[in-house]
Amino acid sequence: MTEPIAVGLTSDAVYFDGITSARHDVTLELNDYAVVIFDRAGELIDQWPYARLKHLSAPAHVFRIGLRKAENLARLEITDHDMAHAIDLACPDIDRTGTSARQAKRRAIALSFFAAVSLFAVAVYGVPAIADRVAPLIPQGVERRLGSAADTQVRAMLDKGPRDRPFECGTAPAEQAGRAAFEKLMSRLRNAAGLRVPLQAAVIRRDEANAIALPGGHVYVFKGLIDQAETVDEVAGVIAHELGHVANRDGTRAILQATGLSLIFGILLGDFVGGGAVVLASESLLKSAYSRGAETRADDYAVRTMQAAGGDPRALGRFLGRIAGKARSGSIFMDHPGTADRVARIDAMAPPQSGGATLLDAAEWRALKRICAGYR
Amino acid sequence: MAVAETGSAAGAANAAARHVRFIGLEKDYWRVVVRGAILLMVTLGLYRFWLATDIRRFLWANTEIDGESLEYSGTALELLQGFLFAIALILPIYIAFTITVLDLGAFGNFISTSAVLLLAFMSQYGIYLARRYRLTRTVFRGLRFHQTGSAIRYSICAVWWWGWTILTLGFAYPFTRAALERFKMRNTWYGDLQGRFVGSGWHLFIRGFLMWLAVLIPMLTTVAALLSINWSAAMAALRGGGDVVGRIEKASPGFLGQLGVAIVGSAATLALIALLLPAFHAMVMRWWIAGIRFGEISAVAHLRTRDVYFAYLRFIGYLIAFIVVLLVGVFFGLLILGTFFQDGSMLSEFVTVAMMVGTYVVFMLGLITLYNATVTLSVWRLTANSIELSDTRPIGQVKAAGDASSPLGEGIADVLNLGGI
Repeated sequence: MTEPIAVGLTSDAVYFDGITSARHDVTLELNDYAVVIFDRAGELIDQWPYARLKHLSAPAHVFRIGLRKAENLARLEITDHDMAHAIDLACPDIDRTGTSARQAKRRAIALSFFAAVSLFAVAVYGVPAIADRVAPLIPQGVERRLGSAADTQVRAMLDKGPRDRPFECGTAPAEQAGRAAFEKLMSRLRNAAGLRVPLQAAVIRRDEANAIALPGGHVYVFKGLIDQAETVDEVAGVIAHELGHVANRDGTRAILQATGLSLIFGILLGDFVGGGAVVLASESLLKSAYSRGAETRADDYAVRTMQAAGGDPRALGRFLGRIAGKARSGSIFMDHPGTADRVARIDAMAPPQSGGATLLDAAEWRALKRICAGYR
Repeated sequence: MAVAETGSAAGAANAAARHVRFIGLEKDYWRVVVRGAILLMVTLGLYRFWLATDIRRFLWANTEIDGESLEYSGTALELLQGFLFAIALILPIYIAFTITVLDLGAFGNFISTSAVLLLAFMSQYGIYLARRYRLTRTVFRGLRFHQTGSAIRYSICAVWWWGWTILTLGFAYPFTRAALERFKMRNTWYGDLQGRFVGSGWHLFIRGFLMWLAVLIPMLTTVAALLSINWSAAMAALRGGGDVVGRIEKASPGFLGQLGVAIVGSAATLALIALLLPAFHAMVMRWWIAGIRFGEISAVAHLRTRDVYFAYLRFIGYLIAFIVVLLVGVFFGLLILGTFFQDGSMLSEFVTVAMMVGTYVVFMLGLITLYNATVTLSVWRLTANSIELSDTRPIGQVKAAGDASSPLGEGIADVLNLGGI
């Protein structure tokens, strides 16, 4: 298999001894286990065993070799083609044609390709799974502090009213009855859900039909939501959905997910020119996907809570359909699933119900409708 | 006879003067960078360690000084290892900052501002260590280069000087370059032969002053014009229909004129930057080479500005051809997309986004690859081929010194997105 070593072959070469930069013109001779280096006077300089030779980067016409495990960087530079070829054959580790280097490189490319694919898979499946498991481990105290930081920002963003008007409804005398009704509704939903986290829930003076939950149990119901609701079960359904976010600790989870994503895409992947766009698109698509998952889970939670509280679970779906309109089925950039999909899922989980409206009596519902009536 | 003799004598003198040569073939370099760009895309950037190593091997091996070529002895696996080290180092800092900022409100905001400064220091720290790695992986005539000096001191120095450069809108640039080159070169060794840098900031300043002024004047004019507009009044006048322009003119007198000045000014700034960049590039290169000393060896680069302009022109030519090809590709892509997906489903939306992102990535990678293959390589080759050394004898009388350093610095620079060859 192995060709015989060209013992006795000689040629000229250039030798650097690794101690000084002086250039030595030498003569090489091959014996059966080493390259023997003689100076021009015929004195022996050194012997380099084939087993320890390594091939080094050099211009195309130069065959440059060094010695493995040597204490210096001694180099031999051979331009004689026959000599280069003979050493290449004699030495199993040297591949002058670069075949094995190319193979190693192909392996490295394949490995990095699979590493990229698996990191992507971690971003899609691993990051939410890890966030799911880590979020419950975060102490309530930390989450409350996170929540109060978020709370300050959200209030600054949403509170555009006059300075003397309280942002939260239910403080003025005319709003007291409404506030009592709101608190009754909250505690009924909370008991039905079996939620033990301390809550800070309030109705706020905003005209949009919306509600939000922040980390640490802050729940804000917008005035516009109560205005547009036709029954108490519709308001209750939305609040139960937000309680779902609190129970699932979705705010904290979103922070953990964002951190994980920015690690994977910001540091490990995408570090090349133009990679910024890949990072941005991947992060925003994945965040929306995570958020759609969280919304669906919160809907499920709302249905179960409403069933336990004796309200109409389908009211949430009806209300969503009315305020959001019949939007198309969804988009990869939306952080909520399509309304039609949500309604269909809610209806599939909850059987149609007659009666209902037992969460608050008619007088309390009227009071709740006027919870923000104290200020104009 | 006499004529022939003079001719051969001149030829010999010329060959002797050509102490530095670049002997690489352009097509080999193209192969390295184009294949590298494609693999960067496929591996989402993980191929960068191999690409950087390939590029350095090519440039080093094909640069000959006094008849001997340089050797780059670093490997991609070392770079990967340095990157992983750096992540292990930077990740805890990153997480600590994230938690602090989330946890502490206003104080957290203060800390996140100071994090920017810390990042600047760490970048310069990484840059210095990365240079140490590259030097100790550079072998010449059986000896390696090495770098001494404290990376922390360098980072403080660099942040200080670059801070002044930014604050003075580039006025301090020549002095920054001179100070930092002095720091770097006096800590650079070839074996036991110490380097130094004698280039003067004033020299660079005098040569570049007019260029700087030519760019700065239209830029400042633009800024002044934009500042003189009463923006809040103009924005308020924007609302409502009817004679919008007339109302804006009344709210902020001279609005149209100032806006015109700003547009012309910014266009002039950009055009002047584009026109002067090659000349600037060539000038700084000549100044830098002329300032370098190794022991008593000095160098002069007879790099011609005209040649650098040609390199940039070639880049623009290739870029235009590339854009045309890309546009045709996008056109056919859209055509295919239109036939297969007409329903507005999530899948079609996903394919559209993927195509947009893909086009952008191909464009940006193509841009940088073309620049690399034309301007970077040409300037390297032209500079190398034009260098004249004062004296080549000391090159053969150097003794070995210095050890190989860790690739951590390259890793830090990479984590902080500061790659370079």
